[in-house]
Order: sequence, then C-alpha cells, then structure tokens
Amino acid sequence: MNILHKPLPRRTLLRGVGATLALPLLDSMSPFFTRVARAATTKPIRLGYIYKPNGMIGACDKSPRPFLWTPKTEGKAFEFGSSMKSLEPFRDQVNVFSGLAQVQGRALGDGPGDHARATATFLTGAHPYKTGGADFKLGISADQLAAKELGKYTQLASLELGLEAQPLAGNCDSGYTCAYMSMSWRSATQPIPVEVNPRAAFERLFGDGESTDPAVRMARMESDKSVLDYVMSSLTRLNGRLGAADKRKLDEYLDSVRDIERRILRAEEQSTSSGIPLLDRPNGVPSDYAEYAKLMMDLMVVAWQSDMTRVCSFMLGRDGSNRPYPEIGIPDGHHSISHHQGENEKIDKLIKIDELQVSMLAYLLKKMKETKDGEGTLLDHSLVLFGSSLSESNIHTHHDLPIVLAGSGGGQIKGDRHLVYPKETALNNLLLNMLDAASVPAVESFGDSTGRLTSL
Amino acid sequence: MLKLLRIAVVAVSVGLGVTLALLGQASDTVVLAQGATSSKPVARRLDSTAAGALLFKTNCVECHGERGVGSDTGPALNTGGFMHGGDDAHVSRNIRNGIDGTGMEPHTLTDEETQQLISYIRSLSGDARDRNFATQYCVGCHNDRAKTGGLSLQNLSLTTIPAHGAVWEKALRKVRSGEMPPINAVEQPEPAKALAFAELLETTLDRAATVRPNPGPTLAHRLNRAEYSNSVRDLLAVDVKPGEWLPVDDSGYGFDNIAAVLSTSPTLLERYMSAARKISRLAVGDLTLKPYEEFYSAKVLPGQTTRNEQLSDDLPFGSRGGISVEHYFPVDGEYKIVLRRTNSDEAINADFTVTKFVPAGLHMVGATSPRDNLKPENEGTDRRPPKPDSSQQRILDLYLDRGRVQRFQDEGGPAGLRQIIIRGPYNVTGRGDTPSRAKIFICRPSPTIGEAACARRILLNLTHQAFRRPVSALDIDPLFTFYKAERAKGGDFDKGIEVALRAMLVSPEYLFRIERDPAGARIGQVYRVSDVDLASRLSFFLWSSIPDRELLGLAEQGRLREPLVLQAQVKRMLNDPRSQALVENFAGQWLQIRNVESVRPDSSILSFDESLRQSFIQETTLLVGNIIRGNRSLLELLDADYTFLNQRLAEHYGVKNVFGSQFRRVAVTDQNRRGLLGQGTVLLVTSYPNRTSVVQRGKWVLENLLGTPPPPPPANIPDLKAAPHGKILTMREQMQVHRANPVCAACHARMDPIGFALENYDGTGKWREEDAGGKIDVTGRLPDGTEFQGPAGLRRLLLTKYKADFVQTATEKLLTYSLGRGLESYDHPTVREIARGASKDNYRVASLIAGVVSSTPFQMRRVPKP
Repeated sequence: MNILHKPLPRRTLLRGVGATLALPLLDSMSPFFTRVARAATTKPIRLGYIYKPNGMIGACDKSPRPFLWTPKTEGKAFEFGSSMKSLEPFRDQVNVFSGLAQVQGRALGDGPGDHARATATFLTGAHPYKTGGADFKLGISADQLAAKELGKYTQLASLELGLEAQPLAGNCDSGYTCAYMSMSWRSATQPIPVEVNPRAAFERLFGDGESTDPAVRMARMESDKSVLDYVMSSLTRLNGRLGAADKRKLDEYLDSVRDIERRILRAEEQSTSSGIPLLDRPNGVPSDYAEYAKLMMDLMVVAWQSDMTRVCSFMLGRDGSNRPYPEIGIPDGHHSISHHQGENEKIDKLIKIDELQVSMLAYLLKKMKETKDGEGTLLDHSLVLFGSSLSESNIHTHHDLPIVLAGSGGGQIKGDRHLVYPKETALNNLLLNMLDAASVPAVESFGDSTGRLTSL
Repeated sequence: MLKLLRIAVVAVSVGLGVTLALLGQASDTVVLAQGATSSKPVARRLDSTAAGALLFKTNCVECHGERGVGSDTGPALNTGGFMHGGDDAHVSRNIRNGIDGTGMEPHTLTDEETQQLISYIRSLSGDARDRNFATQYCVGCHNDRAKTGGLSLQNLSLTTIPAHGAVWEKALRKVRSGEMPPINAVEQPEPAKALAFAELLETTLDRAATVRPNPGPTLAHRLNRAEYSNSVRDLLAVDVKPGEWLPVDDSGYGFDNIAAVLSTSPTLLERYMSAARKISRLAVGDLTLKPYEEFYSAKVLPGQTTRNEQLSDDLPFGSRGGISVEHYFPVDGEYKIVLRRTNSDEAINADFTVTKFVPAGLHMVGATSPRDNLKPENEGTDRRPPKPDSSQQRILDLYLDRGRVQRFQDEGGPAGLRQIIIRGPYNVTGRGDTPSRAKIFICRPSPTIGEAACARRILLNLTHQAFRRPVSALDIDPLFTFYKAERAKGGDFDKGIEVALRAMLVSPEYLFRIERDPAGARIGQVYRVSDVDLASRLSFFLWSSIPDRELLGLAEQGRLREPLVLQAQVKRMLNDPRSQALVENFAGQWLQIRNVESVRPDSSILSFDESLRQSFIQETTLLVGNIIRGNRSLLELLDADYTFLNQRLAEHYGVKNVFGSQFRRVAVTDQNRRGLLGQGTVLLVTSYPNRTSVVQRGKWVLENLLGTPPPPPPANIPDLKAAPHGKILTMREQMQVHRANPVCAACHARMDPIGFALENYDGTGKWREEDAGGKIDVTGRLPDGTEFQGPAGLRRLLLTKYKADFVQTATEKLLTYSLGRGLESYDHPTVREIARGASKDNYRVASLIAGVVSSTPFQMRRVPKP
C-alpha cells in the first residue's frame, strides 16, 4: 500500500508527532486548519459500504438457481435478477458487477473459517492471520482509507453501523478471533466493531445533550476540551513511568484523545454553517428486522446529509450468523440453512432473506434520492457499494461476488449497466475506483488490488 | 485419529517419591536415558554392523541416503524412531515385504542379512541405550524431516526438559490423555511406560517451575464494562450499570477481561466522557438538569401474553405480569411516569400518565395487575389473549417501590403493556439525600473547614479509592482546578465537585490498572508485586471492582502479603455480596450463561418465552452461585442433587409440586437432570433456533468441560448424502450418514456420542422420548469403545474417567480469568499445583481460589521486555 499525501494534512501532522507525546497547542494549529478546510462550493462525495451476510443465491456459476441474482445480459438495459427486483426504480443510478472476487478470503492453507475470512477480506483484500488470540493482523480497509482523507473535513471520520453485535465470548469462526467479524479496519491491527444500538449511534453523531441549541453544544465542547487536556496531562505524567508494552496500550488512549480533539475542532468550525436535520433520538432497538435496518439507514442518511461524516459502513448481519427471520416466516438460523445442500426448501428460504436484505438497500437508495443535497440529491453525490463477500454460501465461494454500486458519485459514474469482468478480478480494484471518485488522493494500491477497473 | 481417553488412571497428585517408584518399575527406556549402561557383547555386533553397512549401500542408500539421513524419496533412518514400527520384527517385516502405498519395495534378503542390516540401521541412531520413550515412540513422525504436526523432538534431550518447556508441556498433555502415540501407530507403549514418561515430564517441569518461577507478563489493563459498572457503584453508590453504555469489549481466550485484547478507540473515549458526565450528575444531583426521558421496554416475544403469575420479586405478591424497572431519579422533583400500551401491530394504543414527586435516588417503578384468582397459575405458556370478561384483567396498577401509586382501568391489562417511560425532572426541589451524596460529601464547608480545604478533602478521598493507591497533591491539584473554574463561573460548591468528578472518571489512572516496576528493576527480573497492586489484583478477580477501604488499608500498611491476613481477606471477599461478580463474569462466560440472552429459539415449535429465558439464567446463576459463594465442590457443577426452580421452570422440566414464581432450592430426584448438563441454559445455547445439535452439544462439553476442543471443521464441508426415498431421518440417522464420511468421522466420533446422550432434551431442554417419529436412542459410544447411556451415563463418565480433565480445565479457566491473560506453557505447572492443592479438599471452590491467589503468576510479576 502506498498513500501519497501531497499537501501535508493536519491529521498526518498529528500522527507524526504521536511518538513524542507533545501535542501542539490546539490554538496554534488553527491557521493551518482553516487553510485545509475546503470551500463548500461543490457538494462532497459520500461513500457507503453495505455488507450482506451469508452469500447470495444465484450469484455464482455453481449456484443451484442461476440468474436469480446475476443478470442474463451484459451492458445497458439488462434485466434485474429476481433477488434484486427492488432496485428497479433506481436503475439509472445502479450498476451490477460480475466477475469480482476477494480471493484472500480463501483458506490458502489456513483450513476452515470462511465466514470470518469473508468479512475480514470484503473491504481489505488482505488475508487474515489465523488466530484466536490477540495477535490478529489484517490490513486497512477501503472505508478507512477514505476516512483518513475525507475525515479531515468532518466531525466524525467515519461511522460503522450494524445489526448484530459480536458474540460475547469465544472465537467467532473456526479459530478466528471475533476481531475478524469487523469489516472496517483502521490499520492492520485495529478493527472497528460495528455500533448496533441506534440510540448510541445517534449520540455519537449528535451528542447526548438535552438540546441541539448551538450555544449549549459549544459550552459542552469547551468542557470536553478541558477534560481532554486533563487526560492528556495525566497520560504525560504516567508515561514517564511506564514500560514499553504498557506505553503502547496507553498510546491507543492518547490517539483517541487526539481524535476527539480533532472532532471538536471540526465541530467548532461547522457550528455556524451546518444545520442538523431533525431526527428524533431513537430509543430501544426495534425487534422487527426491516424496521431496525431502516432506522440505522435513516441515521446514515442524516449523518451524510448534515456532513457529520462522509464515510459510512453498515453490516446487514454478521457473516455466519444464525439469526432467524421470523418476520418473513423463517424460523431457521440463516447460517444453518445457508448450507442448503441443494435442498429446495432451504434455498427458497434463503432467497426470501436475500430479497429482504436487497430491499433494505432499495430503502436506502430511495431515502437518498429523496434527500436534497445542493443542486441534486444525496444519491447524486454518493457511491454506495453493496455486496457479500461470499457468493454461494453452501460451498463458501469467494469469487463471483454479488456486487452492486449505486449512486452517481457527482456525475462521475453512469448507471444502468451490468458490467462483466474477467473471473476473479479483485474487488479491491473497484474499491480503488471508488476512492478515486471521492478524491481520496493517490492510493496506488492496497490489499491484493491489481489496478483500477476499466470501462467504469 | 485422536483418542479421547487416558490410557491409564491419571494420578493428578503424585509426589516425588511415588513418581520415582513408578519410574523404577516402568521399563528400561527411561532409566537408560538417565545414564545406565548396556551389557551386550560389543565385538560381535561390530562384525554384523559392518556387514550391514555393505548391504545398506546396495539396497537402501538410493532412497534413504548416506548413513540413513533420508532424502526426498525415503525417510531418515537415523533418528532412532520408525514410522512403521521400530522393533526388530517390524523392521525386518518392512524390509522383506515393503510397505504398501509408499516407495518402500520388498527386498529379498536372508534372515542373517536382514539382521545385519537392522544392526547397521540401529547403529545409525547411536546405541540402543540412548533410545528413550520419545525416540522410540515419537521421533518416527516428529523428526526434523517429517515435522508431523509442526513438531520435531529429534534433537531434544530428556536432560534439558525445562529448556524446552513449551514443547514438552504439549507432549505431556498428549501422552497423558492417550492422544499420543496415535491409536493407529504400529508400536504402542505399555500404559505403564507412557504413564512413567508423562510423570517424568511433569515432575521435571514442575520442579523447574518451583526453582525458577515464571509469572509471565502483566499488561496495563483497561477496565471492562462489568468492572466499570461495579467500580462506579462502589466508588459513588450510583448503581446504574454505566458499563452498558460503553461499546462491547473484545474478548479473548473465552473472557472479556483479557488485558492484551482490551483496546481503546475514539468511540470508547467518547462514551467514557459521556458516561462520566451522566454519572457525576446523578451522583451529585444536578439542579440545572433539563427534563429528559428514558424508555424501558418489556421483554416479550411477539404474540405472547403474560402468565397468571407474579413477574418478578420487585412486583407485589399476588400480581400478574407487567414490567418492573429500576430507575435512577437524578434529583428531588416531579416526574411523569407513562405506561404505554400497544396493539398487536405494536402501534401505540394508549398512554397512562401519572405525575408524581419522587425523591432523588434509585427507585423501582412497576406496572402490573392483580392476579386472576379464579384460575390457578397456568399450565405451560398461555398464548391466548386475556379474556376480556375477567374483571381483574382490566386493571393496571402503577407501583413505586412496592407502594401503589395509581390504579388505571384498562381493558388491555398488563398484556399489552410494552413500555414504561419516565420523563423529568420538573419542579426540582433539591438534590435530595442519596447514598451517593453521603459517600461524596464527607465534609461541608463550615467555619471549621474552609471551602477549598473541604473540596480538596473530598477529592482526595475519591481519587484514593478510584486510583486504588495512595494519592498526593499531584493527583488532586488538576482536579481541584476544575472545581475552581466551575466556582468562578458561578456554580455552587456541589457543582464544582461534580465537574471535578467528571474529569476524574476519565483519568487513565482510573480506567487502567497499571503496575509499576520497582526502581532499578532489570528486564526479565521476577519480583513479588507490591501489596497495593495485589489488592487490585484481588478485588478485580473476586469482585470485578476496585478494592474497598479495608483491603486497600491493609495493603497500604504493607500487611496484605502476610499469609494469614491475605487468607482472611479472601474469605471476607468471597462472603461479600460483591463476589457475585465471579458468578456472573467468570462462570457466566466460561459456561456461556451470558449467551442465553442472545439466542432466539423458535417459540412456534419449541416451548419458549421470555419468562423461561430469564428462569433458565436464574436457575444456573443460583446453582453456580451456591457452589462458588457457598464453597461447594466444583464437581457439583456436574452432579448437584439439587437445583433452583420456580413453577415455570419446574413445569418445563416436568418436576411436580413447585408453585409460584419465586425460585427455591429443590432436590433433583431424576438422575438425568442433575448438574449443568440437565439445565436449560446449556441445552439452549447448544441448539439451533428450531432443533437440537448433537455436534454443538458435544463440542460444548469437549471445549468447556474437558479442555479438548475439537479442531475446526474442514474447509469445504462435503454434502451429506440425501436420505433414500425421502424418508424423514432421525437426528441419529442423519448424523450416521454424516459420520460415514471419514473426513468428518475423525472428530465427530468424539463430539457426536456426547451430543446423542443429551438428545432426550429438545432445543429448549424439555424432556422428550421421540424425535422425527422415532424413539430416541441415547446410547453413546466413544472411539475407544466406552459406552454410556443418556445424560446420567454421560455425567458418570465425566466424573470418573474424565474427572481430572474437568478439574484441570476448570482450573485453567479460573486462572485465565484471574490473570486477565491467556495461559502459556510455563503456567501449566501452576495449574497442576492449584488442582493438586484443591484435590485435598474435594475441589471446594475456596481451595481453588486460594490456590490461584497464592500462585506464582498471581503474586509475582516479570519485568517486561521493552
């Protein structure tokens, strides 16, 4: 991976001085800060990454029901497979991809654990080091590459949402630690777990103050800053007396302090310009799957709309999860029926779950299309990747992945196409195209990418 | 193939004398390895060996290399071990007949020539007297060339066992359990030989551990969610479980208190800051608080109504169903309490609101209706909607701390009650008189103590406890600055303290447990931790919380290291209600009780509802609590002849004469229901939403009770052959199809028999005789031929043949939890020592805990490498 930062962004500067612990005074940073802040003449590109668990019936050539997902024809005016019929209304801003793969998800000598590997590779294209312990190692994910750059302009670098928390104990999949059930990785050793509580996600975006009154929020930020200063000085005092291993532990804390300080600076800059749309603070977690997913998607849309962040990822479920879907008449665990062994009854049930999960994407696209954003809609200024990192769940195939890219990326991406690439083309190539479209500067390659997709 | 069984009766507690006696009888192999000499005539052998050398050149060198070093086409013959049997008869048979499926061809040699050749080959690995158990039975596969299982024992000498502790610990475990040498190896040691070898390894390793203790590393340890909740409770008397506001902790080695895994992220820090704000407000009482609302939702599965019984002990006797919640009212003031009813589409259908003055602090708010006395408590789950003609069911009562506040008439009754919403405060009258305020404000500014002095005294007292060590002005000054700034802005004295408290709760000194090496300590040096650090190790182990005054006081006086004082403190701490943390956090994760909250059985085909879920958790928590906190034998986890039931659970299990919703101790007469394996928690977490899983149940037992988790399934699970003629197969038939495949059979032969023994329990632990129309066969047969029947048979097997494995596994889990790190090979002597110590007391929990507390890794620390 090689990321070339041309103008030295402030964030890099902060990271650079990390080793010395002497954080430059925040005030002295301000002039530099303002210079980087970009004029809001054009609307920024927002990036979304949506994960669908346990594969997709009809995406792979080994599927028992071909063409349920993969369109029969290439290019324009293709016919949507029945699983993605719900995307029809957004055809002009939707492209379907065939031939993409995350081959690092394959065992490659590591034995079983395809669900952990599928999740881990989806946005990284890196092969996870097999371990159930603390020495996990993967690679940075596409959304976090984007967050590093786009996060310079927003209060939150990125938002990671999901519908299923990691299991509370044990390994998550055949000897892989639960860390690998996260698809967003800040670095090779820093997974970001999904937030599954709508209220907590809301509070992360808008704080937990009782009022959205700007004056109240500003006062709150001032007090947060003084607490952070105190934490920083405590860390400095502690650090002189620590062994190296403990220092590393506390450096994580230090990094977090800096991250939040940065966020507060952003918020202060934005406080005059951006209005926060009205959204009731959610309470509790809806028990109905669709309702729950929609609520989380509403939060994503608001986060983008208010420019709290430009990068959101969302997991429609945990890969390998046995969540049943009683709402649509499926009492069986999703994972256990995903090994359908060719039984029609199980396949039919899987198709229903596939349709339900694709319809959640349709909900998001509808919402984005309805949301005004500058001269156009939010969907016009976004790129949303939707897909699974397994295609045929019964046999755990990591190629022929079901992948959809929605949104126009500010007019850079035409829609209504079924794009077919040679078998086993790296999904990471498409992830790079997305980063380019969002003006993330010069990521030459990452994970197992081999270049960019052409004719996009 | 892996064998489950130990070859010999395992003596966990073997003193040195016994070991030597065993060694003496065992065989010459081990004794020879220790330096005895051979008495064979040397001259004759030289001749024969020389002749053999010539034969070797013509027949063997091509594949086995010069002097038998091996090549790509033939294995080494100079290691002292042979893959296909090492005694003369085997070797000569292999020379003459060749070995099928390998490149080894038959060789036509006379008997004498064969003997000469063998003699030569033997000379390649040195004299026979160097052959010990390892070279004879292990090196054939575990040599530098083959490296079977990634392991070579070829160049390891039995004289330097401790130097290769990690390898030999592994070997010890495999030989002890009989997994090695594998059952299909041609050359099998007599059980006594294997035992003697295991004893040799064990004694040597244990002795080395005593001479050169290795406590392993200790990392800075972030408080996890449970520890955060408990420490806030103990520090400020604010019992609102604030840890639940934090992101879920990562877990490793089965627990979520592993220092190396607990990381920090910006999200976490944000939550810490927000939690600190809320907690300090609640603790001090914030008069400027604007009204806010909290929602509490009933835990009900869709489509079910409540039973005609008291829902919880918080609600009055003779009530039926409803919701009860504990809510922390931040100040004295008025609050609106809303009871929200929804219709079947979960749309809001009615709100019943009361406005009431409530004093600050934690209060129970409940809503319920009187019990319908016309009917007894229902048999099973009543899924029918409540009858509208029952007058009692048109009543909804709102309770505050068991006192009835208001009675509503409502045709829905408690059945449709879905939420309690608490809004407020309005018309605040004061901060109130709460345990938190009593704990914080140990002084008030007065003519005798000035404002600043009092503030400093308060902060000194709180930081002392929060940072768990003696504190100085250096710790207080920055917090006092917060106080002063708030006073300068016009906040009152209490507000100033609140703001300082908010900062203290985010301090790394509070959130991290950090042990500091003494001045001048060298890297790798091992030393005893300070009393103050030991106090925290103890309190986080036994209470998942900070030390209390007594413990910290003793530590600061330097008295905690006195064995009698330490012993007395451990006893006191176990008797303290706070030791419930050990049940919830240690047992809750080890036995996966926590996971019961997240499973979602299909209640349309299995008997299940929320009340049953909570009852399962309650039952196991009470049993485990009784064992841990009542200092019972660990073995009772498997065979307790009592349990704790309420009517709902008793009906589910088919136990008669248990009435009412309160749990009480009940004798278990059914042999099958005794111990954990007859409890809903275990049976539920090892089932799929709509059926049982023999595999998961077997795996649960192997992993959590026996410490021998099966390896993960192969990469691509082959299709199970479809059933002939579309016949519905029983679970056993399905699994037999499965095990016909040799790839699957290796492991399933260990897991499935255990699971089958439990097949009489359905997916939620209800007893059944039939599955898929056929009578259930609960015979289990292990790979070594041991047969057992049903849950009772499995339990007996675990308590006899596998008792040592169970005790060792439990000890390993306890030690892992107590240290907050994964165990390493150098910890195994400690595990054995703790288990041996506890065996003298029939494995009572207090002896295990005492063993952990006095162990090397708990008492000591190694200065980490940079």
